[in-house]
Amino acid sequence: MTPLLHSLLVLVALYGLYFAARTARVGGPPGEFADGGANLPGWAVMFLLPGLAVAGLGVERHFTLVGRFGLQASHVSAGLVLVAIAALLVWNRLWMATRVAGLFTPGEALGRFYDSVALRVVVMGLTVLFALPFAGHILSSVSVLLEAATEGLIPRAAGVWMIAIALAIPAIVGGWRATIMTLAMYSVLLALLMPGLTVLTEITATGPGFPTQPIGVADGILWDRIPGVLQNSAGIGKAMPPGGIFTAAAISSSAVALLGIVFSPAVLYLGQTAPAGRGLGVSTVWLLAGLVAGGFVLGGPVLAARMSDGPLALAGSLFEVEPLAGAGLLLLMMIGGLLAVSFFVTGGSILITRELVLTYLFPKLGARQARLGHRISLGLAFFFVALSASFAPLICAVGASVALPLSVQLLPAVLGLTFLRVISRGGVMAGLSIGCLIVVFTEPLGLILFESLFVELPWGRWPLTIHSAVWGLAFNLAFVLLSSAATLRSPDRFQRDRLHDAVEAALPPRQTGGRGLLWSLMLLWGFLAYGPGAILGNSFFSEPIFTDRSADLGVPSLWVWQILFWLLGVLLVWWFAYRVGLGRTSAERIKPITLGEPEKRRTPDWLAAGLERVVKKAS
Amino acid sequence: MIENNLFDRLDRHGLVMAIWSPAAFLAAALLHKGVTAGGGAWWIGAGFGVLILGFAGHVIVNAVLKTRFTAGETALGLVTFAVGIVALLVTVLVAPSETVERVVLPVGLGLVSLVMAVIAYLVIAFGPRGAFERFDVIRDNNLRPASRLPHRGGRR
Repeated sequence: MTPLLHSLLVLVALYGLYFAARTARVGGPPGEFADGGANLPGWAVMFLLPGLAVAGLGVERHFTLVGRFGLQASHVSAGLVLVAIAALLVWNRLWMATRVAGLFTPGEALGRFYDSVALRVVVMGLTVLFALPFAGHILSSVSVLLEAATEGLIPRAAGVWMIAIALAIPAIVGGWRATIMTLAMYSVLLALLMPGLTVLTEITATGPGFPTQPIGVADGILWDRIPGVLQNSAGIGKAMPPGGIFTAAAISSSAVALLGIVFSPAVLYLGQTAPAGRGLGVSTVWLLAGLVAGGFVLGGPVLAARMSDGPLALAGSLFEVEPLAGAGLLLLMMIGGLLAVSFFVTGGSILITRELVLTYLFPKLGARQARLGHRISLGLAFFFVALSASFAPLICAVGASVALPLSVQLLPAVLGLTFLRVISRGGVMAGLSIGCLIVVFTEPLGLILFESLFVELPWGRWPLTIHSAVWGLAFNLAFVLLSSAATLRSPDRFQRDRLHDAVEAALPPRQTGGRGLLWSLMLLWGFLAYGPGAILGNSFFSEPIFTDRSADLGVPSLWVWQILFWLLGVLLVWWFAYRVGLGRTSAERIKPITLGEPEKRRTPDWLAAGLERVVKKAS
Repeated sequence: MIENNLFDRLDRHGLVMAIWSPAAFLAAALLHKGVTAGGGAWWIGAGFGVLILGFAGHVIVNAVLKTRFTAGETALGLVTFAVGIVALLVTVLVAPSETVERVVLPVGLGLVSLVMAVIAYLVIAFGPRGAFERFDVIRDNNLRPASRLPHRGGRR
């Protein structure tokens, strides 16, 4: 299988190089290298968003969890519907705010809206977190799989560097536009391989699989049930809850953690550089909530049940039947990772260069010099991610564990920018501080540090089977609401009102009826699909509550429940996108404003002095 | 879409490639499974089905972006089709009779289905007369001025 897998990976790399070269040859203005002229191909953004959501879920990780915990873990994939709703809510208004007030990066948008440099620094920190440990951890995982698939022919460290170089060159040559176009193809490949290989595996497999046979989980794990609404567990690492870790609370909080992908700076930047049009609606309703979430809800358990001995064993048996299918399965496991690494490192590097280097260090650079700066920065970013992935995989894994939950802590700040004008700077900063602290201390990063330095903590990871993202967000929101209530008449409210008024004036006329019904249905759906009500699905269809008899469905009741609420979820996303009108963006009615004072692009004195000292020494 | 804009053309090319690259991979896997031992007509049919879906995707792209197949795309399609026919003929001449019996009919039908798909596209896109006119080179050779008159069918 090794030569075939190598050939496929080389083809994937050449594809990126080809589009990078074509983009460079077209020769657009140098200033568009970093943002594609804020007018990326609509189709590419449309395809890429679902791919990024899958990358957040993690293809190999998800199948491993479903193979270990059964349908309770598979329930998390229905959280992709929630990601679609969040993307609709946030991207639409952020796109408008970007055009209305000329806020071209997430850091700039949040920083200038709240008039807070600290918030810009927080966003930059998150950008680095996604670009280094998060991407490094994924890169390391992909290389581990590559090493195993090639039977050690490509060692992990060599794989890391080869992949990093293969992803870096297209980004350096073609910039943001070429990267997005290439990753869109990865996304399409992912969307086709997933159902294609599931069907192929089922047709060619020798014995019966899921749902005829149960998923082979360990003793004591309830493979076809959610093990309760909540479990009184100190958390992973301290105690293992009976029946499995994915209680209703764990599922809903994991779905909330998945939203971290939408709030990650690079994904917000993708939304800001997207073109106007109806692409967002198509992407979220039909591709993300429909095709991808459906693929995972329906096909996830089927494919995971065949992977009881791991993806390599299944790839080996598929290779016996059809070599391209075996190599394709490994490609499916890797392509999501490649997509995430390329996207977050490229996006992160561009954002850091724009936010830090071009704004504060070298504010007087011309467009060509700025493009060179971006290229150098991209090279360095890929170098550092490869360095950390090859020599510090454990640190990357620990850092990666907090990336998504910390990103979720931006939710109140983004909501303030997009919908809730009452949310104030003080509230956001207070909520963000407490939220981030709680996330860190309910994930390995804080637990390992604190327990190594001081004393053993009484809780582990995900106490009470609630994901750290929700622990942080609960306190974050409480602080934000309390602080914002206390600062309702603060002077900075004026600028926030100006932006909201301008954005609302720029929105196309839309139907306002049925909002109450929509939000009521949304709450009801959330309660039953992810919330405590999800536990009803354990036996709702196999042991109906209206009769003493039990029904022999032939499939687990929970699976039917998941499919039902996935379909209802698609309906809700459709409502948000097309009835409420969030699936369409238009620049027709936009009247630009200047938010606050014009930005001062001046190198801070201490930085200028430092630079001067370095230059003098060198000369 | 403005065809002269280089970025628009590149964007369209990217979209077409994003559709065809995964589709070609899937079709190759299915066709390979179909023609090798242990395969069969259904696999070959599925492979051609994926190719027709890819073609349908390409047609939708053209419709949405208000473009047509480029000369390069048409040439690549024709060459690939010709290679398929030559491969089929070589198989008939060279391969063992068992392979020929198993492969020729489904592959032949698959190639015919591709032609039918192209004809269906042409008829839907240009109408029966317009589709015919695209290949009607004889009329273009009529240099008399009267041939330009609409009631004589002139279109130049």
